Amino acid sequence: MGGPGAGGPTGSGVPFRRAAGYLRAVATFRLQGSKVLAVDLTGDTVKAKNGSMVAYDGQMAFKKLSGGGEGLRGMVTRRLTGEQMTMMEAKGQGTCFLADRASEINLVALHGDTLYVEASNLLCADGGLRTGTSFTGLRGGASGNGLFTTTLEGSGQAAIMSDGPAVVLRVSPQYPLSVDPGAYIAHQGRLQQSFQSGVTFRTFLGEGGGEAFQIRFEGDGLVYVQPSERNTVAGDV
Amino acid sequence: MPFREVNSKMVEATLTPGQRMFSQRGAMLAYRGEVTFTPNLTGGQGGVMSMIGRRVANEAAPLMTVEGSGTVMFGHGGHHIQVIELSGDTLCVEADRLLAFDGTLTQGTLFLGSQGGVMGMVRGQVTGQGLFTTTLQGHGAVAVMAHGGMIELPITPGRPVHVDPQAYVAHHGDVRNKLSTALGWRDMVGRGSGEAFQLELSGSGAVYVQASEEKL
Amino acid sequence: MSTPVIFDPMTLPSDDNVNAYTFCVELKGSQWFLQKGKMIAYYGRIDFNGIGHGRLDRLVRTSFHSPLHASDWVVAEGSGKMLLADRAFDVNSYDLDEGNLTIRAGNLLAYQPSLALKQSIVPGFLTLIGTGTFVAASNGPVVFMEPPLRVDPQALVGWADCPSPCHHYDHGYLSGVLGGLRSLTGLGGVSGEEHQFEFVGAGTVLLQSTETLMPEQFAGTVPNEPGVPGAGPAGSGHGGPGAGQGGMGGVPRLPGQLGDLQRRFGL
Repeated sequence: MGGPGAGGPTGSGVPFRRAAGYLRAVATFRLQGSKVLAVDLTGDTVKAKNGSMVAYDGQMAFKKLSGGGEGLRGMVTRRLTGEQMTMMEAKGQGTCFLADRASEINLVALHGDTLYVEASNLLCADGGLRTGTSFTGLRGGASGNGLFTTTLEGSGQAAIMSDGPAVVLRVSPQYPLSVDPGAYIAHQGRLQQSFQSGVTFRTFLGEGGGEAFQIRFEGDGLVYVQPSERNTVAGDV
Repeated sequence: MPFREVNSKMVEATLTPGQRMFSQRGAMLAYRGEVTFTPNLTGGQGGVMSMIGRRVANEAAPLMTVEGSGTVMFGHGGHHIQVIELSGDTLCVEADRLLAFDGTLTQGTLFLGSQGGVMGMVRGQVTGQGLFTTTLQGHGAVAVMAHGGMIELPITPGRPVHVDPQAYVAHHGDVRNKLSTALGWRDMVGRGSGEAFQLELSGSGAVYVQASEEKL
Repeated sequence: MSTPVIFDPMTLPSDDNVNAYTFCVELKGSQWFLQKGKMIAYYGRIDFNGIGHGRLDRLVRTSFHSPLHASDWVVAEGSGKMLLADRAFDVNSYDLDEGNLTIRAGNLLAYQPSLALKQSIVPGFLTLIGTGTFVAASNGPVVFMEPPLRVDPQALVGWADCPSPCHHYDHGYLSGVLGGLRSLTGLGGVSGEEHQFEFVGAGTVLLQSTETLMPEQFAGTVPNEPGVPGAGPAGSGHGGPGAGQGGMGGVPRLPGQLGDLQRRFGL
């Protein structure tokens, strides 16, 4: 819980990493409490959710990025794909504090693998991670999160948001996992997902709902679930 | 009287006869003993004119006076609560974030326009919280609410802190505020990045920032 | 960077909190009653059956006494570990030992069939009786307090053993010069604290920090017969599905109180 200057460019503390063949400074992600992310920048960049900056010190510049490209065409693309991720790029020297609607923030380290995360749950990613969109099939439709999911690939850190602290569950061949679509936020690793019907019998009194069906994960990897069944933490707009 | 933090979302205050405190209306969760809650016709201190002034200034925080002897638990909407102790200095806080405060504190309003000129007025417009901010001065404790908890960022000379006006909760100390823009006008049209306006705080003191851009 | 804890079926706790907001229930061929939509993930083989399922008839007969509320509940059965959570509210388990506890219907997530669930006389509340464990949610950690105590209706989670929950009105507010002026003009407004639930006697009161209620859970209607509180003429009683305020429905509006509008303007 240092001051804003605590994690600044202190020289020896700046981590370096070999990426794309050259050495570059890497943004340091620190959690301040569980709902504020402090990112120490030393001239490098991070991608962050639009509007998530709550405070910064030092020199910082923000640039708007968007999913499907700039301008009207990009906007139409984003509408079509249902992918409403609009990200900004923060670049500079200093500490940037990010938070979004009091969501809990979970740090994820990527080592060459791929993270699949609902666009609205992505808070911040290392500038060196490749972002993309992947078709999620039916699951997106079921959870109301849209049919496309954001993917992050490469090595580096990312921060994802959840409504309440996420629980990280390991899936291995002998332990498949079933997850409520509304509680799912992200997964990484080599996982297959399928649908399974949950409540085997519905009373004629109720119209079903609840655990009507779940997503079943099989394979090898990690699944992030939130202690809430609201579909999107951040809402649509 | 000091507030005891029961948990992150609840504080307990002990009242003794002759003491009084102010709290936001409807923020009492439970009480023990003989305690009365009176809605403030005057909206705090300073008489009716002051209240009307505050109404006009859109600084409408419905307050009630809490008097008697006993213990009272305060909380509101499941918001996180932070207790800030004042020892003679002034705290600037948006009125609707005040949960409860010591009756001994002097309440006032600060026209931010006078501090930041035209831009100060813009700040009020941006936060949508009026051009006036409530000030509390003296010795005592203030319980302030924030959406999703707060972090305290120290402000030291030569090291200004930039804050999203929506996430700004309160500040104290000898601090000047100024509105700055980090983006061009083009970016602000349309949804913008939300970072179009930033509140620059410089001087020496501390600013409280909440983990959310949501107003209360 | 602190690496997050990664759980698998071995490391997940058994019938305990994973964190403040998530609770893990272990099933070993046993059963739990579960409010629909509160299970977020599970390992193992677990079946979820709606209440009213023929095979469960006997179980329901002994443990579930809220007939019209049945559609909100399922029975989880099998073996494995399941995670329960509710809108990122704090979740806790409570053990009852030959005891009774009354809880706001919306706060109850799950309970062991060794407990009997009954509708409380107080509309919108459910009473659990017997020995066993149940899991409940609250906005912020639950604070336990001893009577005598007056509680804002919205902050009340439930109570154990208290024989006498009753309404309390701030008399000083209702009468007097100021009160008269208020009822005449509507000016001066309300403090929002004219009405509380009062508890006296021996027992424990459970409080949460909220003034915004969790969405009210329909606790089931009561038989429409004389002497049953909340029964009233068909369709108009509080606690019915249409009464959004549920347990609060019975609070009379005070003179001079314009309700929401007035509160909004802070008069």
